[in-house]
Amino acid sequence: MIKFTVNIDPITRIEGHLAVRIEVEDGRVAKAFSSGEMFRGFEVLLKGRDPLDAQQITQRICGVCPISHGMASVLAQDRAYGIAPTENGQLGRNLIQAANFLQSHIIHFYQLSALDFIDVAAVLAYEGSDPGLRELKSWVNAQLASDAIYPAAPFLPRYEGDYLRETDTNITILKHYLDALNMRAIAHRMAAVLAGKLPHAPGLVPGGITETITAEKIASLEAMLSKLRTFIDHCYLPDVLETTAAFPQYLREGRGCSNFLVYGAYPDSNENTDIFPPGVVIGGELSPLNMKLITEDTSHSFYSSQSGLPPGSGQTVPDHTHKDAYSWVKAPRYGGNVMEVGPLARIMVAALRKEDSALKNLTRQTLARFNMGLENLESVMGRHIARALECKVVADRSAAWIERLIPGETAFQDFEIPENGMGIGLTEAPRGALGHWISIRKGKIENYQCVVPTTWNCSPRDDRGVPGPVEQALVGTPVADDHNPIEAVRVVRSFDPCLACAVH
Amino acid sequence: MKEITRRKFLKLSAKLAAMMGLSASAVPKIAEALDEIASGTLPVLWLQGLSCSGCSVSLMNSEDPGPLRILTRYLSLLFHSTLSTATGHTGMEIINRSIDLGGYSLIVEGSVPLGMPEACRMGEELFTDQLARAAMKADAVIAVGSCAASGGIPGAENNPTGAVSVPAFLQEKGIQKPVIRIPGCPAHPDWLVGVIAHVVKMGIPPLDAEHRPKMFFSRLIHDICPRFADYERERFAKTFSDEGCFFKLGCLGPLTHADCSLRLWNGGTNFCINAGSPCIGCAAEDFPQAVSFPMHTKKSSGEVE
Repeated sequence: MIKFTVNIDPITRIEGHLAVRIEVEDGRVAKAFSSGEMFRGFEVLLKGRDPLDAQQITQRICGVCPISHGMASVLAQDRAYGIAPTENGQLGRNLIQAANFLQSHIIHFYQLSALDFIDVAAVLAYEGSDPGLRELKSWVNAQLASDAIYPAAPFLPRYEGDYLRETDTNITILKHYLDALNMRAIAHRMAAVLAGKLPHAPGLVPGGITETITAEKIASLEAMLSKLRTFIDHCYLPDVLETTAAFPQYLREGRGCSNFLVYGAYPDSNENTDIFPPGVVIGGELSPLNMKLITEDTSHSFYSSQSGLPPGSGQTVPDHTHKDAYSWVKAPRYGGNVMEVGPLARIMVAALRKEDSALKNLTRQTLARFNMGLENLESVMGRHIARALECKVVADRSAAWIERLIPGETAFQDFEIPENGMGIGLTEAPRGALGHWISIRKGKIENYQCVVPTTWNCSPRDDRGVPGPVEQALVGTPVADDHNPIEAVRVVRSFDPCLACAVH
Repeated sequence: MKEITRRKFLKLSAKLAAMMGLSASAVPKIAEALDEIASGTLPVLWLQGLSCSGCSVSLMNSEDPGPLRILTRYLSLLFHSTLSTATGHTGMEIINRSIDLGGYSLIVEGSVPLGMPEACRMGEELFTDQLARAAMKADAVIAVGSCAASGGIPGAENNPTGAVSVPAFLQEKGIQKPVIRIPGCPAHPDWLVGVIAHVVKMGIPPLDAEHRPKMFFSRLIHDICPRFADYERERFAKTFSDEGCFFKLGCLGPLTHADCSLRLWNGGTNFCINAGSPCIGCAAEDFPQAVSFPMHTKKSSGEVE
């Protein structure tokens, strides 16, 4: 029996510090251990600060999805202060969040994941006139002929593996890799129109947003969104489906824990159904979300704080000597269940609801077109497809939000900060369900806890020894070569891990 | 993973040419098509400590030169955790070999957990050890973003990891290297690209006493603020989103050296004060301030009871 263990450390092309150890038996992963390798202590250093610092500081948890943290924080503060944004404020918030969501999904497929499937060296065969591809081709040529120790770094070297052989498809997706660099910058500019700057937006505050809505800004938002929608419809979604067609085995590999959790996001006064309806799927059954069932285990994490606490009274006491610990990530559980969050979870919840929604309909149409069932989505490529589909739904809905902005009407509601209060802010980050818990005492932050999408997805084993979603998804994955475990990193990257978020 | 040598690459190009149906005569063309691209770039090793990757994401917002042109014309980016195709031991081999050979500039994003080194590891190595050996062999160290430049949020009061800036860490370890500090949370892409272009074409740019490039950090945001006239005329904003100067909301523009108000962010789209928010001083030395010192207040201090 062939047996080997590989510690894949670092896992690159994700956000942050992640190591994954896999134990392979008979050519398949038998056990996997996911380790978050970096801790900063946001929850500790927020204590005693002014509550209004929270949305600024928590955005700095993550440079890829700062807006999600800013949003969770202002939602928690809205609740604590007893306020709600105006219509303009709500639409503005939705658009800021949507713009960063689009940028995150686009960067995830092209810059972070695509190089596991497509062959960058195919650019050498390019004979067309696209300036970006010509630049890339002549650079790769010059690099290969140079004395550089690592020619064409950071694109090479890489794991050896079964990269796509079809030259035209490789070149098409490479071209879109370059276009995506531009598109994600446009998405950031779109967010900056309403939020001041990205990453780390100043303009997201309790009571709405600080920017004022003008006709000029609306025109600017429309122009940028139109480019993004064209790219999503004509490049991103087709490229994901094309990659799926070339790697059909990844519609089977990487099935996770099959439990899903969604908090919901993008409140919209015009719609009966949220764009991402909240809900919980356990054992194929949909049930309503019950926040009281969330706890965080720490028996395999580097903390000495009590295990199994609900986030509202959660603690973060670091202890790098903690017995049996192998990760800085805590292990959140829902009624004791391991839960996957993110695009796949959002699609599963939407699809299992009786009510129609844009996400449910688009998913149904796409699955029918490719003769797939919902169960195919519980896989590596399924997560990529889910991400691309919801990207389109968010982009499409954004167009309606822009149309409803009213120039000159306020987007900020003034408020008072009470001496004491508490609030929970729940939203959907690009990577899944995100919650912030704030309690305020004597006008200062008494406690602050964040349970973040990658905390769920990359969690280590819990108190009962049950592995987290990524760990479970890896089990059974065929890995042929201990020096080139490309199959395993394809599984991990399909979750779009963000470790700065997961540990914070 | 075997080491990739030039010889292997020639073989690879031949293989690729065959795979792509090119004639054998195309192989030397592929392998020897040298042009000006290969010369004059800065070899860079990019390491992340206690970071959020926001400065990397910000760099990707650079326009003219955009990210592709930066990668092909200015940098030889040996390793970058968010962009490198190499992963696992393939990635660590690049880092280790680059350190063995030296002759690179080290860009560090994130602060350093001096008080709790176990708070950051990469490649089965403490980040503190990795940073020390990478810095020792570097020609120069660029600390990008407030975390690396001055400790930033991971180094805030009451932080549990004893996080410090990169220059403070180097001093602690007695490692003497030319250091360029580029604060900002995140750093503006122009600040880093401007420094890199300067280093490639003319060497290290003129620095101030705090090792910041003078060309970006010599003036206070307040002095070059579009609302400075409001300050002069004592027209003060009463809350967020208001017109007028944000001085009475605790705007930190008067204490922060940076050129955001002239340069603007995201390709000239906007910046904090134009968007109705006070400056929170993210490029200031003491960002994010003491626990007892709010980043801004919502109410004009003139009105607080």
